[in-house]
Amino acid sequence: MSNPLSAFLRDYLTVGIFASLAFVLVGLLLFISWLVRPDRRQAQKYIAYESGVDPVGDMWSQSQVRYYIFALLFVMFDVEAVFIFPWATQLEVFGFFGLIEMTIFIVILLLGLVYAWRKGVLRWV
Amino acid sequence: MLAATSSQFPVIPAMILLPFAGAALIGLLPRSRGDLFRPVALLTAVATGVLSVWMLVGFEDVARFQFQVNQPWISDLGISLHLGVNGISLFLIVLTGLMFPVAILGSTPSHDPKPYYAWLLVLMGASVGVFAAMDLVVFFVFFELVLVPMYFLIGLWGHGRRVYAATKFFLYTMAGSALMLVGIVATGILHQRGTGGPLTFDMVAIARDQVISRPATLWIFGAFAVALAIKVPLVPLHTWLPDAHTEAPTAGSVILAAIMLKLGTYGLIRFGLYLFPDAAVTLRPVLLTLAVLGITYGAVVATMQKDLKRLVAYSSVAHMGFCVLGIFSLTVQGIEGSVLVMVNHGITTGALFLLVGYIYERRHTRLISDLSGLQKSAPIMAACFTLVMLASVGLPGLNGFPGEFLSLLGAFEGARWWGVVAVTGVILAALYLLWAYQRTFHGPATGENARMKDLRPGELMVLAPLLVLIVFLGLYPAPMLERMEPSVKALVAHVDRNSDGFTAVERRYVGPAEAAEREGEGG
Amino acid sequence: MTGFVAVLAATEDIPTPDVDWSAIAPNLILMLGGILLLTVVSVVRGRLPGWFHAVWTISVATAAIVAVVPLWQRVQDSGPESVLAGALVLDGFSLVVTATICVSVILAALLLEAYLRRERLGGPEWYVLMLLSASGGVTMATANDLVVVFIGLEILSVAVYVLAAMHRRRVSSQEAGLKYFVLGAFSSAFLLYGIALTYGATGSTNLSRIQAFLADTVITQNALLLGGLAFMLVGFGFKVAVVPFHNWKPDVYQGSPTPVTAFMATAVTAAAFAALLRVYVTTFGPTYRTEWQPLVAALTVLTLVVGAFLAISQTNVKRMLAYSSINHAGFVLLGVLAASAAGDAATLFYLVAYTFMAAGSFAVVAVVGRRGDGHHDLSDYQGLSRSRPGLALVFTILLLSQAGVPLTAGFLAKFYVLAAAVESGYTWLAVLAMLTAVVSAFMYLRIVVTMYFAEPEGEPRRPRIPAAAGLAMGLCVVGVLVIGIVPGPLSDVANDAVSQLVAVGR
Repeated sequence: MSNPLSAFLRDYLTVGIFASLAFVLVGLLLFISWLVRPDRRQAQKYIAYESGVDPVGDMWSQSQVRYYIFALLFVMFDVEAVFIFPWATQLEVFGFFGLIEMTIFIVILLLGLVYAWRKGVLRWV
Repeated sequence: MLAATSSQFPVIPAMILLPFAGAALIGLLPRSRGDLFRPVALLTAVATGVLSVWMLVGFEDVARFQFQVNQPWISDLGISLHLGVNGISLFLIVLTGLMFPVAILGSTPSHDPKPYYAWLLVLMGASVGVFAAMDLVVFFVFFELVLVPMYFLIGLWGHGRRVYAATKFFLYTMAGSALMLVGIVATGILHQRGTGGPLTFDMVAIARDQVISRPATLWIFGAFAVALAIKVPLVPLHTWLPDAHTEAPTAGSVILAAIMLKLGTYGLIRFGLYLFPDAAVTLRPVLLTLAVLGITYGAVVATMQKDLKRLVAYSSVAHMGFCVLGIFSLTVQGIEGSVLVMVNHGITTGALFLLVGYIYERRHTRLISDLSGLQKSAPIMAACFTLVMLASVGLPGLNGFPGEFLSLLGAFEGARWWGVVAVTGVILAALYLLWAYQRTFHGPATGENARMKDLRPGELMVLAPLLVLIVFLGLYPAPMLERMEPSVKALVAHVDRNSDGFTAVERRYVGPAEAAEREGEGG
Repeated sequence: MTGFVAVLAATEDIPTPDVDWSAIAPNLILMLGGILLLTVVSVVRGRLPGWFHAVWTISVATAAIVAVVPLWQRVQDSGPESVLAGALVLDGFSLVVTATICVSVILAALLLEAYLRRERLGGPEWYVLMLLSASGGVTMATANDLVVVFIGLEILSVAVYVLAAMHRRRVSSQEAGLKYFVLGAFSSAFLLYGIALTYGATGSTNLSRIQAFLADTVITQNALLLGGLAFMLVGFGFKVAVVPFHNWKPDVYQGSPTPVTAFMATAVTAAAFAALLRVYVTTFGPTYRTEWQPLVAALTVLTLVVGAFLAISQTNVKRMLAYSSINHAGFVLLGVLAASAAGDAATLFYLVAYTFMAAGSFAVVAVVGRRGDGHHDLSDYQGLSRSRPGLALVFTILLLSQAGVPLTAGFLAKFYVLAAAVESGYTWLAVLAMLTAVVSAFMYLRIVVTMYFAEPEGEPRRPRIPAAAGLAMGLCVVGVLVIGIVPGPLSDVANDAVSQLVAVGR
């Protein structure tokens, strides 16, 4: 090639090749199944698949607001874990400074939990 | 002797601050003491007027700026509260000092006297500030500040479509000011670039140095000219004026005509000629043409008016046209005449608006067709009206004449063909005013017109100083001319020095080619 | 396994930054103040009185301002410096913006106190969120790293998203919160993408390092960097509501609880403009000015014109002020566009002046809105000059200031910006800006006309003016007039601040 790609773009070239391979593969599989399967249409077959159970009610159903709050609290501590794990593996490297940092981080999150607790969020009424 | 003492007492700041203080005092007075508003306002205005007369007495007949005060204001932009008067602004300040007491005395507000008098006083202080400012930004500050009280005066105490008129007035003027502000900023910055010195907005320094390049001055002059032409007003930017004048309360009309319009023409002298002489000479034909258009158009439209106040308003357009004509004749006579017109138009038109206001108070109409034969029911008013009207027409012996005459004289020397057309305005002025007088005061008096009350002594007292001045300045304008002559001569010399293609010796415009030729001859 | 060890070895000597606590004191005070307030109300049994939160918030913001003063001295004496391993800067500019944000917190807290009482809403959350948001704003203003800018922006924004939706009983408040959140998140993505591209092009997210890199290196293929600049401009443009990224603003300003709107108009705008200025003028100004200036000029034109013209057709005062704030953003952008020391000082001056004008105006709107925060139509202002002459006068002064009438802060703010623009050769834009100012003036006059000249239908209502809101208005009017009449101190501060900012750039 007269204009050689930069190393940077060459890395992306690999990604591109893999991506196109993936598309081709999926397309191929779908094509094969379309080729070999029998085609008998029935109304039941067009119902949304929910693990074999017949779907009930509207798609846009409302959930209890509590679920969201618990989900939020869960996400909060999930993210906390994501942040703590890498730190734990490098505990010695960061030393005392890291400990303080992490303590501040956890304390702030805990304060949030205390607030949520006081607000009565943790009680399931 | 007097000048020595006057240089110690800061008379100009006092004249600006006194009305502001009066306004603040009125603002602080409780609403229950409604009887005090008028005396306080009157006292403050009269005191300011007395100060202006004191300044007039102490003024020396020389060209330089006097009673100067210079106080830094915004130091990083080089803006300073630089105030002073010369022979040109002196009379406008005195006019301000005269007309405000008259306007306050001449009419009472229909409601809410407290804000009414407070706004009037703010207007007075700001007006003095405009005429005395020697720093571009300070000028602009006062120029804009004038709008706010006038806006409220028209909008709150006006007649008919007052809100429409007030908003139109504000927006028109502000649109012009917007251009002018950019022009001011550009002037300061280009001046700084030219000199390499500190940033300054001082008029004297900028006028002296003349370092801004020619194309730039043309643009800046254009920006100033549009802003000021709106204020003057010059046709075709005049359409706010009939509405504002007609709908304003009597005091508002008086001040509008007597003071506010002068801000425009004064600005043209200050910025047009003093700061950008070269651009002024180059763009002179445009302004002269607009002035002549204004004279004829204003007169013709005034003739056709059905409303007496609107008629007077359009007559202002014509008169201010004479003023601009005189300025851009670029001759000593023309500019002197122009300043005379400014002052005398202020006096006569102020008096006319007062008289129309009195008629309106009695008859609750301003339509000429509703009025007739007032001469019989109100002979004293008719006499006053006759005198004022004849002054406005420009009858020799009354104050309208010397200014108009000198303006035309200047125009004949400096800009002949424009002068020739402008003369028709004199004839038309006689036509519309005499015809209006004939229709309102002559003829049979019927119904309400026959029962109309004549001027009360109090009202006559208000008019009296104006009438005296009309006669005095008509017969003997020399005191004014003597005081302004050095300043005007210096200004013309300044223009002469700093522009191509124009020689004050010949007092006429010569094209650039001819000028170069002449220079060659001289060399 | 060996790879993991290798990573361990490579990270053996991670430098832990020295923390100069005093340099980040104002930010710490705001953040700790917020967190502590939350803790206190969670721990203390029983409800604390409503005024306690407001007093706390005001004290915290005041303390932060007090903490700024010695830092200002330090910067004046020993010049600007970067702290926290170059993540933050300590310079005059950031300090002035910090103080401005604190002032807007104080004003908004005063409004909020009266507002919550009237709306029968309570809770420390409003104040906590405001303090945390302010802390984010301060982070943005002091950031010297694109990632820190982003973090600051997120802290600032997330808190404000919630604040916008805090009036639970008003549907429009919920709507505002959601709209602001969706569009804000969208714009954050743009900003982040721009940061990523910039990092790709320059190899750093640190602003000082980027600037040094660009000064030394000529990038022959600069498409990546230009893309990054454009994307970041979109991100910032959303935050300051530059046309064409302004669509959220009228709805969000109208829907949000009015004190929150006041906070958004002042603190959020100031912080976002501070970051915009630091990134574009200080960092990319010296090398890439000619690339972004045409773009910003085009945005300025659109912002000025659209803000002014859409404002005049509105009948809701809150929306009018929202559109007018778009027009103001155009003026501030003009100062940024100048990309000079004068322009930076003008931007700063404008932001401070606008803080007083906007906070005061929204204070009036909050009071006139009455219970339910719903009476914002122009007709609700009819006859205000009779029923509440003082209130009408205050609003008139603030509106005239926004219109740029002399002897008010608005005039000088515009003057400085114009001077900077003309100096940088944007005279045509200065003319255009002033003409749009006249169009806006028409809109302000409409409000004044309604207050003074229109006869009210039915009996005029007298809105109650709570003491706290009255105090806020008083402060704003005094601020507007003092800046307008004696601008020296503020302009000196702005100039000093900017000389330090430019020095950090070098």
